[in-house]
Formats: sequence, C-alpha cells, structure tokens
Amino acid sequence: MFIFELLVQGLIQGGIYALIAIGLTLVYGLLRILHVAHAGLYALGGYCAILITNASGSFGLALTCSMIIVGIIGMVVYRIFYQPLLDKAPFVALIASIGLFIAMEEIFRIIFGAYGLTFSAPPLQDTVVFLGIYLRQCEIASIVLAIGLIAGLSLFTKYSRIGIAWRATVTDPEMAESFGVDVIKVRYLNFFIGSMMAAAAGSMVALLNNLVEPTMGSVPSYKALAIIVLGGLGNVRGTLIASLAIGIAEAVGTIYLGNILDRDSIAFAFLIVVLMLKPQGLFSKG
Amino acid sequence: MKIKSIISCLFSVFVTSCFALTLFAADTIKIGINVPLTGFAASDGKSALNGAKLAAEQVNDAGGVLGKMIELVVYDDQASPKHSVPIATKLIEKDKVVVGVSGSYSGASRAAAGVYQSAKVPYIAAYAIHPDITRAGEYVFRTSFVGEVQGRAGAKLVGQSLGKKKAVLITLNNDFGKSLAAGFKEKAGDFGVKILNEYQYSIKDRQFGAIVARVRADRPDVIYATGYFFTAGPLVSQLRAAGVTVPIIGQEGYDSDTFIKIAGKSAEGIIITTSLDRDSDDPEAKDFIMQFEKKFNHKVDMVAASAHTAVKVAAVAIAKAGSPDRKAIRDAIAKSEVPASTGIISFNALGEVIKDVQVQVVRDGDFRRHSIIHDPVLLAPPTK
Repeated sequence: MFIFELLVQGLIQGGIYALIAIGLTLVYGLLRILHVAHAGLYALGGYCAILITNASGSFGLALTCSMIIVGIIGMVVYRIFYQPLLDKAPFVALIASIGLFIAMEEIFRIIFGAYGLTFSAPPLQDTVVFLGIYLRQCEIASIVLAIGLIAGLSLFTKYSRIGIAWRATVTDPEMAESFGVDVIKVRYLNFFIGSMMAAAAGSMVALLNNLVEPTMGSVPSYKALAIIVLGGLGNVRGTLIASLAIGIAEAVGTIYLGNILDRDSIAFAFLIVVLMLKPQGLFSKG
Repeated sequence: MKIKSIISCLFSVFVTSCFALTLFAADTIKIGINVPLTGFAASDGKSALNGAKLAAEQVNDAGGVLGKMIELVVYDDQASPKHSVPIATKLIEKDKVVVGVSGSYSGASRAAAGVYQSAKVPYIAAYAIHPDITRAGEYVFRTSFVGEVQGRAGAKLVGQSLGKKKAVLITLNNDFGKSLAAGFKEKAGDFGVKILNEYQYSIKDRQFGAIVARVRADRPDVIYATGYFFTAGPLVSQLRAAGVTVPIIGQEGYDSDTFIKIAGKSAEGIIITTSLDRDSDDPEAKDFIMQFEKKFNHKVDMVAASAHTAVKVAAVAIAKAGSPDRKAIRDAIAKSEVPASTGIISFNALGEVIKDVQVQVVRDGDFRRHSIIHDPVLLAPPTK
C-alpha cells in the first residue's frame, strides 16, 4: 500500500518533469540546441498562472492564458536569441541560453520581488481519499493535465498535416524542405508547443506548492537535461518514459536513500547507472 | 562651441560631485555588510538589508556615533563563499570599514569570518547558525543562536511544554537543518522524547509527497521539521492535506510572513522557536516592529530583526570604544550589554550570544507569543 502511494507520488512528479522535458527534447531534436532557458519559461508560466488567477479568480482561465502567453514568448526567444546563432557552433547557442536563463531569473526577481508570489486563495486544494491514498485535487489535476497534453501532442504529430511535416523536418530537414515543408514555420510551431507545455508545468507546480520564486526554474534547468539524455536525445517517447522513471526513482529514493543521497543526486545516480548499461540512453534513435 | 561648453560643464559637475563624495565619505563611519541580494536567498537578503538600513537610520537620527553619521557599505554575496571572501577583502582594504556585518547564510559568513579575523576587523554574523563561524577567532561574533542551541530548545518545547513523546524529524540536509536536528536529538532523550524516524530533504525540494506518505504511516504525535519558509510552507500544507494533524514544530527559518501566505490555513497552530517576539513588551522590540512595518510596508521577520540587532550592536560598540580603532571596537563588542529588538545582547568568550529563545505560534494569520524558553544551562552556547 505504501509502495503504491510512493508510485503515485512519483507519477505526479514524473508528469511535471515530462511536460518540461518534452519541450526541451523537441527543440533539441529539431535544432540541436540545448535550450536551458526553457526552465525560465516554465517559471514564467508559474508567474502568469498566479497573477492571472489572483486578478480574475479563475485558474482555468489563468492556465490557458499562461500557456498562450508563454508559447508566444517561446517563439520570440527563438527569433531573437537562437535564429541568429543557428549557423554557429552548438555551444554558442548553449551559452546564449544559459545567459538568458540567468537574466530571466533576475528579471523575475526585479519585477515580481524576491519573496516570490502566492495565490491569494489557492484553488483545488481539497483532499480526496482514494484507495486509502490522500491526494489533493491539484495533484490529480496535474496528472490529468500531463496525460491530456502529451496524448494531444502525440495525436497532433501523428494525424495533422503540420504535425507530419514537423516529424519529417525532425527526421531530415533538407529532404522535408525539398518536399515543400515550410521549415521556418515548423521551428516556430516547435517553440510554441514546447514553451506552452513548460507553462502548463509551471502553472501546476505553482498550484502544488502555492509558491513561485524567481529561482523555481533552477532545478528543472539541469534535471530536464538529464531526462532528455536518459530518454535518448530528441526522442519524445523516450523522454516521457524517462521522466516517469526519474519521478518514481526519486519518490522511492527519498524514503530509502534520502539520508545518504538527496533527491537530485538520486536522479543523477539513476542517469549514470542507465548510461553505463545503455550509453545511448534508454530509447536512442539508433 | 555649444557642445564644448556642455562637456566642460558636465566635467565640472563631475569633479565637484566626486569631491563632495570624498568629503562626505570622510565624514562617516563605515559599517560593511554582505547580504544575498540576488540568487536563491535574495528574499532573506532583502529583509536583512532592510533591517540593517533601519538600524543605521535610527542611529543617525539620534545623532550618529563619534559625531559622524553611520554609512552602510552593501555588497551582494549571493549567499556564496565564492563572493563573500572577495567582498570581505574589499570592505576591509578598499572601503576601510570599521566593522563588518553578515546578513547572509552560514556558508558565506563562515568563509568571510576568516578574512575579517586575519585582518583584525570585528565581524558580526546576524543570523547564520553554523558553529564554526565564531571559531574563526576573537574578532568574530554572532547575535543569533547556534543551530544546536535552538534545536535543544525545540526538544524542551516538545517534551516538556507540549508533553509529546513520539517525534518524527524532517530535516533539511544543509548546515542549518542538520545543526538544528543535532541539537534536538542531543536533548530529546532528556525530555523523554523518542525519535521514530528522520527523513532528509534538499533545499530545492518543494514536493514532499513521498515523505508525507511515510510520516503518515509512522503515526508520530509531533513533527520536528527544519526548513526555511519557502520549503516549510509547501511541506506544512502537504502534511495537513494528507490528514496529518499532529503539532508541527519549526524554527527561525519559518519566521516570515511569506510562510503564512504559502501555507494559508495549514499554517494555523504551527509553533516555532525564534529570536523575535511579536508580542514583546520590550520597547526596543515594539519600536522596531512598528518602524519596520511603517518604513518598508512589509511584515517583520527574524532575519530583519537579527540584522537590525547586529548593526545596532556594532554602532553601540563604536560609540563606546570612543574611536574608530578596530581593536577598541572589538573589545567594546565583547563587553556588550545592548538592548535590541531580539533581546538583550551579550556575548560569551567565544563571541556567541546569550539570550532566551522565543516561541511563537501562528494564530489568525499572524505570529503570536506562545512562550519563552529561559534556561541558561540548556541554552548555553559553545564556549570553544
């Protein structure tokens, strides 16, 4: 029973990781850029959710607006910071991304204050007892949202025209372009969807913790990198499974290894063990 | 011609202002302060700086010290030793401060303490709790409790005042959490408290689902959870949401209005050990709380009160020393008997503060007095 409870907690955390890491793996898959500033967009999503909820009283509206606003800002980030660097060595974009991420943290602090923000009346906090497990409504909502968004994304890439064009571009950009796929449009779409999912994760974490802080992106900024490496860089299915696996490893590890290793070390220890056994990650594209 | 005259005009303004600044600088007594104004600890840094500013302003309004105004020289150390060490050198060598104050965390303060000690400049840690800070030498002092001392007070509170006997510890695994937990564990047995289990978490954690599930299974009758307001807020909410209703005991890390904002209704009834008594009858504390809230439009917290105390102790010592001589100021600090917002401050031979522990409880969305632990034997700070 207790193990079941740990599994559920691991899935909640894993779902959040998945929402963040999928955006990152999409960007890597398409442009070979390690988009560290993605974690800054995740934090921005949290800020938008709290500010809009406090102003309007509706978390649903706030979540939707936050996803759209951050999605658009994601496209702006691509246009201003990455597009001019595409023909440079990959580390140039990585450095730009790290710089942008640090700047974002400090901008959040200057604009929204060092103490962080909280919901004035946090929604979805009632507890539901399900099979002897205590879950808050917001925890259930975050699992449902993660499943919904990831399923939606997979349907979109499988069946919609632009989704198919997207997959084609990831597999072979030149060939896709010669078949008339608008590569530029695909890149914007990529940043929009990736950033939107990060905003969803940020909004749900804001709700789970009733707190957003300027530095809330610092853990996801590196942990999401570990997750996409584990999942085989650029592989969406692999990223999803790796996120859930790390979520569960952390939940179980916190209890049984918590006095030796902290939560972050557990994730990285897991990464090292997997990479020793499968150097290409769990699901490399070969 | 016009451009030339504008440039020459600007130049003369620049020269005059530089001259004015030098004149002004020579007319002040400088106290250096390192605080985290950016990075993860920026919220505590902001509170600490505001507390320090208020203390300096109050001293200056009352005529300053040695016939001069106090000037705070502030640098951002990001709560990191990597920054606090060069800052300490700069404050001592370039800014020529007569006293240094740390408004920062233990790591940064501990590293800077060595620099102050070797330069023989007094250094006062406002709220950093690692025991090694004052061990740097006779020039280093601390105006708040060592972690172990506050942990022992927690054990007495749990075992004696609340009469709870089965405790679970949830420990933040940095020097802050570990030293508090060590003090608690050291004295728990003396007050008949049995420790069922201890779980550790990192400062970056905000999701405690796994620990909460485990604590529920342990069925303790009290929880001693160390942390800062940004970890404690989510932790307390998640414990309460999971149906854990037993008393939760926190410490000075909880002591911020933001903790109550994060935890909301779950904060009600949470008891903490700290340095600041909101319901104090002492005029120093009352005046500090009133002035701080008026000036900064933000509720007071322990960090602000501690930095206020440290700057006040420094100012009183400078006045008592009668000169800006650093050795004379050090000797005056060592003999302090200063009424401040966090109590009457005096130091033992190691430079550790001797004072009572304040116990506060959250009631109707505010910290209120629960009790005061006065036990000079239990609360005796280390002497070497």
